[in-house]
Formats: sequence, structure tokens, C-alpha cells
Amino acid sequence: MTSEEIQAIFFAECEESLAAAETGLAACQAGTQDDDTVNAVFRGVHSIKGGAGAFGFIALQAFTHTFETLLSDVRDGTVPLTEPLIELLLRALDTLSDHVAAAQGAGETPEDVVLLAELTAAQAANAGGAVASAPEPKTKPAKAANDKPAPEPVADAQDAPNAELDIDLDAMLDDLAGAMGGSSPDSDDEDQEGRWEMRVRPHAGAMRNGSEPVLMLREAIELGGRCELCDISEVPPLDTIDPETGYLGWHFSFPEDVTETAVRDIFDFIGDECDLVIGRGLAMPPVQLPEPKPENVAPAGPAPAPAAVQEPPRPAPATAPAPAAAAVAAAANQTIRIELGKLDRLIDAVGELVIAQAMMAQRLVSEGVAATEELTILESLTRDIQESAMSIRAQPIGSVFSRVPRILRELTQSTGKHVRLDVSGESTELDKTVIERLGEPLTHLIRNAVDHGIEESDQRVAAGKSPEGTLTLSAEHRSSRIVIRIADDGRGIDRERVLAKAIEKGLVPADVQLSKEEIDQLIFAPGFSTAQTVSNISGRGVGMDVVRQNVKDLGGRITIESEPGKGTAFILTMPLTLAISDGMVVNVGDQTLVIPLASVVESLRPDIEHVKGLGTQRAMINVRGRFIPIIPLHAAVGAVGAAETPDRGVLIVVETEGAGRAALLVDTIRDQRQVVIKSLDTHYRSVEGVAGATILGDGRVALIIDVDGLVARSLSASAGQAQEAA
Amino acid sequence: MPTITLPSRCDRAAAEAVLPSMIASLGSGPLHIDARECTQIGQAMLQLLVSARRSKGGATILPSPVLHDIARLAGLESDLFDGGAA
Repeated sequence: MTSEEIQAIFFAECEESLAAAETGLAACQAGTQDDDTVNAVFRGVHSIKGGAGAFGFIALQAFTHTFETLLSDVRDGTVPLTEPLIELLLRALDTLSDHVAAAQGAGETPEDVVLLAELTAAQAANAGGAVASAPEPKTKPAKAANDKPAPEPVADAQDAPNAELDIDLDAMLDDLAGAMGGSSPDSDDEDQEGRWEMRVRPHAGAMRNGSEPVLMLREAIELGGRCELCDISEVPPLDTIDPETGYLGWHFSFPEDVTETAVRDIFDFIGDECDLVIGRGLAMPPVQLPEPKPENVAPAGPAPAPAAVQEPPRPAPATAPAPAAAAVAAAANQTIRIELGKLDRLIDAVGELVIAQAMMAQRLVSEGVAATEELTILESLTRDIQESAMSIRAQPIGSVFSRVPRILRELTQSTGKHVRLDVSGESTELDKTVIERLGEPLTHLIRNAVDHGIEESDQRVAAGKSPEGTLTLSAEHRSSRIVIRIADDGRGIDRERVLAKAIEKGLVPADVQLSKEEIDQLIFAPGFSTAQTVSNISGRGVGMDVVRQNVKDLGGRITIESEPGKGTAFILTMPLTLAISDGMVVNVGDQTLVIPLASVVESLRPDIEHVKGLGTQRAMINVRGRFIPIIPLHAAVGAVGAAETPDRGVLIVVETEGAGRAALLVDTIRDQRQVVIKSLDTHYRSVEGVAGATILGDGRVALIIDVDGLVARSLSASAGQAQEAA
Repeated sequence: MPTITLPSRCDRAAAEAVLPSMIASLGSGPLHIDARECTQIGQAMLQLLVSARRSKGGATILPSPVLHDIARLAGLESDLFDGGAA
């Protein structure tokens, strides 16, 4: 695995750690302040710090160090978890998130000097009660604790809080500069009095899993440690050396004000992959030679081992766990990380399997062998494999929802509106790509809801509402779609104003008659905004059309429910996956086409008296009092020999984002089935009105209709013809 | 004098990559290791350099500032740089 791949894993873990810390702090804010919750927050920040050190992200590491120090005291009960402190921790978490983004190259390194000072002050103000003793306390005063009460030894130094780790950043960076700038580890004249000793020998795994022991040594020096000796006695000659084995051992000394816990925390990131002993005059831990790799049946490594070893070549820890403990550890590690490309190849193969199975079924039917038990079993297995493969790519939507509290905090700061967040269905799963691309539209909608939807508190009180607004986020699995709802309890859409603005901007004619739903849809028009002033949150009219486009690009739809005075809800209906979709297979002349089922409202065989001509170019059908334009699909796709009038075919009523409902005229409905989506962009080129292609059971390629694009294009074309005719 | 030039990133993968060249140079006199381009270095490469220095022919290392600093920080300055080829 390359360093880049390992780094990518680190950043993925950062996302998880940030989400876990966010969840933990939200729970603390809601009143759940038990040990598990606080520990979860601490662990999240701690794991980011470990990786940051390993990869040399100095600013990230420095920030997490101070953040973690405060959390450590909170965890140990030294610092009480008050409401102001939780707010400080939440702000620190936001900045930590920015640091992670900066480390990824996705933004500037945040200004954190003031926040670091606040964190340090919060820790220092409360940390006087219980201070850890170093393993071998001496009389030498602690350099960072002169203004604190005298340290009181505690029974177990290993469990003691890091109360004396309130290092100020400048001092820490100075130490680092000193360490890097020239002081030889063995040239310091300070004697060993007042210092305690640590010996550490990283093993092979410490270099293998993305961590780098040398960077941890640097961290030890930042903490005040001094390298007394590097043990090179175990380094073998070149012709027998194994680069995967850790041969070097280090003897460090630390001043008494540095706690053992703080030092162990540095190496905690590599866990069992190093031996660490603390105490005067102890021997350096021995080298752990690796076991031979499984494929090396003949003993090739320095240490012989049974030929039938099945475990990866991970060295045994110094104190080998009992079999039962090992089994528990193995059971706990029930997840693995998979390279996304491998997963995509699996999904592709499953898609081909679905097609092959459909082709075989079709062939059997044509050979007069239908409804065999074996075919039924094969169909069932194919579906199981397909669903299992899809579920591997599925992730809980909670990873997107977890970013929302931060957005709300920022909005509260900028708008002064206090908003309560209600979340449900965060464990609902959908495709990873959909999840990743949902973040932006969701952010737009939330900002819009708070900026435009939720009223100022005085207006809310005047309207008989709670001064605090409520934003409700929910997700649920409905048939083969995921429905995500973003609802506020604000003022609702002012339709009169929306329509007036749309007319003013020339988006619709002045005498237009629109339904409530159609007026609501106007807010998705490019450039539309009713905001009186342009803020940095919303009001530029560039957000909502982007939202609709993003959702559409993901194969989803967005609808609005709004009630004046009571609030607005945006409902996103998203596909579970982008690879396989439900479609209606239709015949149009000499062609077979697929209409995405998500767009289909109903199908009908019209009576000719319900069809009305509109001008000379366009026919409309009256569906329960509502006139819907009819679009002959054969004209749109150039099919030959198709039904040309509605009474000779079937109308498929579809819902579009931009043009409302339309009825697509087809010859017959052939099937309704799952189709494997093949990108035309990848295999051919982008074609207007066509979303992709699929392979049918008979081996023929069928185009999948881009309903929105095709309807919009057809309507504008017929409008143009009508104008020319006029 | 055989010369090996180390890459910028001297991680475990780099150590595995340069080891065969180092072994091949054994017996051909002191090895000259040009590490002036080195901007990152980890334990795997450090111990390889130590081993090269302790090999029969010895090795001279031309360090980059980063390698020099890391060696000092890790307590290996004298082992890697003192007295030319060890």
C-alpha cells in the first residue's frame, strides 16, 4: 500500500472521528455526559492527533494536542463539563474539521491562536485539583506548573490526568524548532536528576500501518523528552536485514513534569506495535522478528515458524494474548477497508451478471423452456448477489447529517437565529457516491431554510410560535428510493412574492396562471431570489437551481411542500444506487426504450375525446381536469413505424422538474424491471435527452430516456414551431 | 566507488527498493550514499543506513538537511555521519 493510500485511509478515519466527536458533544449538550460519551469525544480527537503526527501535519497535530489535553481533563473529571465549555469544545471541533480539510488541501489552515488560548485557559483554570506525578518524582519544580498548586501524587500514574500538559503553542513550537534546529540529544549538559526514563522499540507493524516511529520521537521531544541513546546493536548486516523489521530502540529521558500517560499517549497510536518500558536502568525491549509470510512455505525469515501459518505477518506482541483474548480481539475487528475501485469492479460484474441472467431467461423462453425451477433459483440468487453488492457500497446517511450541527452553529452566529435540530433516520443507508454528493445540496437547503424560512425570534413570538426555530431532517427507505426531508417551521413560501418576482425577472409571463406547486418550483429557476438583501448565506439566487441540478444529476427529484405560516419542507427522492435502476421498458416503433420508473406517475390509454389540439403543433390530454402536453416519443428519438396518435398507443404520464407533467406517447409497455445503467458519456458521448443505455435480456441495447431533458427539449421545440407557424 | 542516490521520500517502500542495490554493492569498496534530495525519512531507511555504515566496506552518506535533523533527533548523528565511511 502506498503512502498516499494510507493517507487517504487516515483522512477517511478523520471523517469518522470528527463525526463521532460531533455526535458525542451533541449528546453532552443534550445532557448525556457519561464516561462513554466523553470518552468517545476524546478518542475521536486523539486518533486524529495520532495520524496527524504520523503524517507530519504539524498544525493539525499541534491543535489536536491542545484540544486533547483539555478533553483528557474533562474525561478525568478535573475540568467540569459546563454549558460554556461544551460550546467551546464544539467551536474547537469546527476548527479541527477545518484543520483536517486544510491538511487535505481543501482550504486554508484556520487561524486558531485565539481558540488555542481559550482551550489552554479553560484547562488551566480548572486543572489545579489533581495533578499527575511522574513515575519517579524529584524535587525539581515543574517548568509549566509554577503558578499552580503543588502537585499531589496520585496512586496510579498511568491513569493520571495530563494536567500539566497545558503547553502553550509557542513554547511547543519553540521546543520543536530547538529539536530540529541543532541540539544534539546527547549534547545536553542537564544531568539525569529530575528526569525519568523510557525505552521504546517499535516493531515492524509500526512502520507498516501508516504510522512512522520517527515522527513519534519528534513528538516525544516536543513534550520535553531527550534522546539519550539509540540502540543500533540489533541492526543486522545488509545481506540479512529485513526492511520490514524494527531493529532500532530508543532510550529517552523526560523531565518530571511530563506524565507517563502523556508519553504513552504518543505511542498509543501504534498500540501493540511497539514495546515500551518505563523505569530507571531497565533493559531495552528485544527486537520482535516477523513471522514468515504465508506464501513463504520454506522458512525464509530469520525466525522459523510453522509452514501452515495463515495469519498475516504481524509480529507477536511482547506479551502474547491468551487464545481467548485473541479470539475476542478478532471478533471485535469485523470491518475491513476496501479500495473503491475494487468495489466498483464488483458492481460492474454484478451488473453483467444481471444482464446475462436476463439474456438466459429470454433465450430459454424463446426455446420453449419457461418457468423452470432452476431459473427461479438463479433469479433469486442473482438478486441476492446484486443486493449484497449494492449494500457494500451503502453508507448511513448519518455521515451527511452529522455535518449539520456545525452548519447550524455558523448560521446562528451569522443570523442570530436559534434553531433546534431534530434528526431521524440517520441510519438509513444509500450509495456512497450519492452520500458524498448530497452534502452540497443539503447545505444549500439548510442555509436557505434558516435564512429565508425561519423567522426572527420576535416575529416567531408574535406569530405564536416558540422563539427557537426547528429544523427537521429525516431519511427513510421507501420502496426502492430514499426519501430525505428537510423541513422548517418557519414562515412558509410567500407565493405572491415569488410569482411577482418571477414575473419581474421575466421568468414567466405577467398573465400566467400557475398552481401552488408550479409557483413553488419557480424558486429553482436559475437566478431566482426573493431575498431583499444578498447575504453571504443565501439570496444570490445561485443556490436553489444548483441544488435541483445536483439532485437531478444523482438521479433524484426534489419537491416542495409549503404552508404559509407553518413552514416549508424540501423532499429529496434519491435512488439507492446509481448503477442499477428500476425502469419501464416500452416499445416505440422499431425501438425499445427505458423510462426511469422514478419519473413515471401513471400510464393510460386515452379516449380520443380527452385529447385536445393546442395550436397546430401540440396535443394535450385532459387527465382528471388537468391538461398535460403529449410528447410523441417516436418523434423525439426518430423511431420508425410507431403509433402517431394517442388513441393508437399508450401514454406514460411523467413528472419533470422543470416542465411539470407530460405524457409520453409510446406504442406498448413491454416490461417493468431493473436495468443496469451504462453511461453513454463513457462508452460513446453525451446525447441530449438520453440518460444512458442498458442491455436487455435479448442482448439488444436500449436507451434510457432522460425524462427532464427530453420533455424540456420537446416542449421548447414545439413552442418554437408554433411561433414560426404564427 | 558505488553510489546510490536516495529518493526524496525515504519511507519503508523506498528502503525495500534500494536494499538490493546496496547488497549488490557489497564487496566493491565503500558505498557512497547521496541523500541530498531526501525530504522525508522513516525508521526503515534509517536502519538501512546504519547497516550500510556498519557493513564491511562501510558507507559515506551525503545528507540533506532533513536527514541530518532527523538523525540528530533520533540519536543517530554520530552513527551515520562521524568519520566518513565506518
